[in-house]
Amino acid sequence: MRILVVEDEVRLAANIASALREGPGFAVDCAEDGETGLMLARNQCYDLIILDLMLPKIDGLGVLKAIRAHKDQTPLLILTARGEVFSKITLLNAGADDYLSKPFDLGELLARTKALIRRGKGVAHPTLSAGDLEVNTLEQTVHKGGEAITLSPMEYRILEYLMHRPRVIVSKEELLEHLYDYNWEHHSNVIEVHVSNLRRKIGGSDDGSAIETLRGRGYRLLNGRQGR
Amino acid sequence: MMRTYSLTRRLIVTVLLIELVSALCVTAVAFLYERHAHFRAFDILLRGRADSLLGAVQDAEDANDNVMLDGTEVMLPSSDIYEVKDASGRLLGRSSNWTGADGQLHQQKFERDGREREASGSDHSLFYETTVNGKTYRAIRIEGLRIVDPGDKGGGIRRYVTVYYGSSTNRVWKAVFRSVSFYAISSLIVLAVTGLLMAWLLNRGLAPLRALAHGAAQVSVVSWYFSPPESARQSKELAPLVIAMEDLLSGLKQAFERQRRFAGDAAHELKTSVAVVKSSLQLLQMKRRTAEEYEAGLERCLNDCERMEQIVAQMLTLARVEEGKGGQPAEWHADVLQCIHEVVGQLSTTAQGSGISVLIHGENGIHATINPELLKLLCLNLLMNALQHSPQGTGISVQVLRLEDKVEVQISDQGDGIAPEVLPYIFERFSRSDPSRSRKTGGTGLGLAICKGIVDQCRGTIEVVSQLNTGTLVTVRIPLADEDRKKALQQ
Repeated sequence: MRILVVEDEVRLAANIASALREGPGFAVDCAEDGETGLMLARNQCYDLIILDLMLPKIDGLGVLKAIRAHKDQTPLLILTARGEVFSKITLLNAGADDYLSKPFDLGELLARTKALIRRGKGVAHPTLSAGDLEVNTLEQTVHKGGEAITLSPMEYRILEYLMHRPRVIVSKEELLEHLYDYNWEHHSNVIEVHVSNLRRKIGGSDDGSAIETLRGRGYRLLNGRQGR
Repeated sequence: MMRTYSLTRRLIVTVLLIELVSALCVTAVAFLYERHAHFRAFDILLRGRADSLLGAVQDAEDANDNVMLDGTEVMLPSSDIYEVKDASGRLLGRSSNWTGADGQLHQQKFERDGREREASGSDHSLFYETTVNGKTYRAIRIEGLRIVDPGDKGGGIRRYVTVYYGSSTNRVWKAVFRSVSFYAISSLIVLAVTGLLMAWLLNRGLAPLRALAHGAAQVSVVSWYFSPPESARQSKELAPLVIAMEDLLSGLKQAFERQRRFAGDAAHELKTSVAVVKSSLQLLQMKRRTAEEYEAGLERCLNDCERMEQIVAQMLTLARVEEGKGGQPAEWHADVLQCIHEVVGQLSTTAQGSGISVLIHGENGIHATINPELLKLLCLNLLMNALQHSPQGTGISVQVLRLEDKVEVQISDQGDGIAPEVLPYIFERFSRSDPSRSRKTGGTGLGLAICKGIVDQCRGTIEVVSQLNTGTLVTVRIPLADEDRKKALQQ
C-alpha cells in the first residue's frame, strides 16, 4: 500500500512516514505544501492520503476539494489542529473520510489508516481470505490451510494488495505504484522476482488458489470460492 | 446600584419649574400693576365724588352767612361715607350710614400722618385709609372754599370747608383679584398644556435615541453586526455617537478577529509541536530498538521540545510587547549604537560559525525613545533573520543615522531575499506563506511580528525592501530621545 502524507511540519511528516513504513510496511510519500501534495495526488497511485489542514500555497480544504473534483476516490484522512476554522462537518461533507485532531496517537493513526485502506478496497474485516489462503493484515501473518507461511515484507505486501483485489488483473506498474514510494528505483523485474518467490511459497492448491500470470498484462489472484 | 433617572422627566420638570417661576413672577407683577391702576382710578373717582359733595355745600342764607350741605342735590353711592366740616370744625353734614364717633374720619388722618404726607398732592387733597365699622375705607380729604355772597362789597365772606369722603376698598380689591386670578389661571393652563406637549414631543424626538439603543443592544460577542437606525445617523446630535460607535465596533472587531486568529494560530502551532514530540516518542515505542536508535530518537525529541519552548517563549514575548509592558515612555532612553554593539557581541559566535561578517557604522551617543531591552530584542530578531538567510562568506551591514527627529537603523544583508508575493505578510504572526523559510531554519514565524510590535509601541516605523537572491534591507525609524532632539534644534 502506498500513502501520501501532506504535512508542512517536516518533523511530524517524517515521524508519520517512519511509523507507516515500520508498522504496516506501507510505502510513503511526503509533500510539504498543498501544491506539491495535489500534484502527487493527481497520479492516483495512492491507497490513502493523509492531509494536514494548515498548508502553505493551497490549504487542506482546497486540496481536498480539488482531489474530489477530479473524481478521485482515494480515501482521505484529515489531520487538524484547529477544529474551529473548518468544522468537522464541513470536512466530511467536502469528501474527507476521517479526521484526527493533533496531537494524535500514532497507534490510532495507524489503525485508522489501515481501516480506511480496507474500506477503500471494499473490505470490512482486517482478515482477508481467498480459498484456503488467509491473510491477517493486523498481525501481517499468512496462513494456508491453517499452516503459517513466512513471507518477506515485500512478498507480503504484494499478496495483501492482490488479496484486496481478487480476480482482477493487476499490472506490474500498478504494483510498483502502490507498493513503492518515490525514493525507490522503479524496476519492474523486482516485482517479477518477488511474485515468483511468493507463488512458490503459497503454491497452487486443490481449489485453485494461486497467482496467475497474464503475459504483458499483469497478475491475477485466483480462488475457487468467493473469498472475503 | 446607581439610581437611574429619566432624561425626559428631568427636562419636563425643569421646563415646568421655569415656567412656574415665570408664571408666579407674571402674576406678582400683574398684581402690583393692577392694584396700582385700580387704586389710581379709584382715587380719581373719590376726588370726583368729593368734589361733587363740595359742590353741594350751599349758602345757608342765615344771619352768620354760614354754609350748609344740601344733601338732596348730590347723587352718591349709599355705601360711601362722608363728613363735611367748616373751618371752625362745625359739622355741616355726614352720610346717613355714618354711625361712627364724631370726627373719626378726621382723627384717622392724624394717626396716619406719615402716610398722609406721602400721598398728598400739590393741591390740598389727602388720601388715607381708615377702618369704619370693621370695613376698610379709602378716604380723601379736600379743602374747599365757598364764598358767601360774592356780589357783596369786599368780595363776600370766604368760608373754608373740609370734606372727608371715604369709599369701601372692597370692590377695588375684588377687581384686582379678579384680573390677577385670570393671569394665574391662564398660566396654570399654559403650564399643563406645555407639560403634556413636551412629554409628547420629547417622546417623539427621542425615538432615534431609543432606536439607536436598540441597535446597540443587538451587538454581542457573537454578532458584531451593528445597524444604527437612519434617523439616528441623520440627527446632528446622534451622528457623532453613531460614527464613534461604528468606529469603536469595527476597531474592536478587528482586534477581536486578530486575537482570535492569533489564538487559533497559536493553538495550531502548539498542537503541531506537541504532535511532533508525541509522535517521535510513540515511534520509538513501536518496537524494540537498539541503544543507538533510542539515543538518536531522544536527541530528536529534545530538539522538538526546544522548538516548542522557543515558540512558547516567542509567543509570551509577543504578548508582552503587544500589551505594552515596556515601562513608562518617560523612562525610555536607549543608546542605539551601544545596544547594537551588545547584540552583535551576542551573535558573534554564530556569525563566525557561518562565516558572516557584521559591520557597524554610525555616530556614537544617539539616544532613542525606547526601552533598551526592547531595542536589543528588536535588533536581535532582525540580525538573527539576516544571519539565518545569509549565505556563507557574505556580510551584514548595520548603519545608524540621525534624522531630523528620529534615529534610523538600517540592517542590510546579501541573503536570499523575500519573494514579492510574501512581502506584505511578513509582519503577521505565524506568517508562513513560505514555510521553507521558517520551518527549515527553525524560526517560529513570530520574530518579525515581535519587531513590529516593539516598533509600534514606541511610535516608530519599520520597512522591509527585498529582492530575491540579492538581499534584504530593513529600515527601522525610532523617535529621538528628547535631549537629542533639543540638541538638534539648537544646532
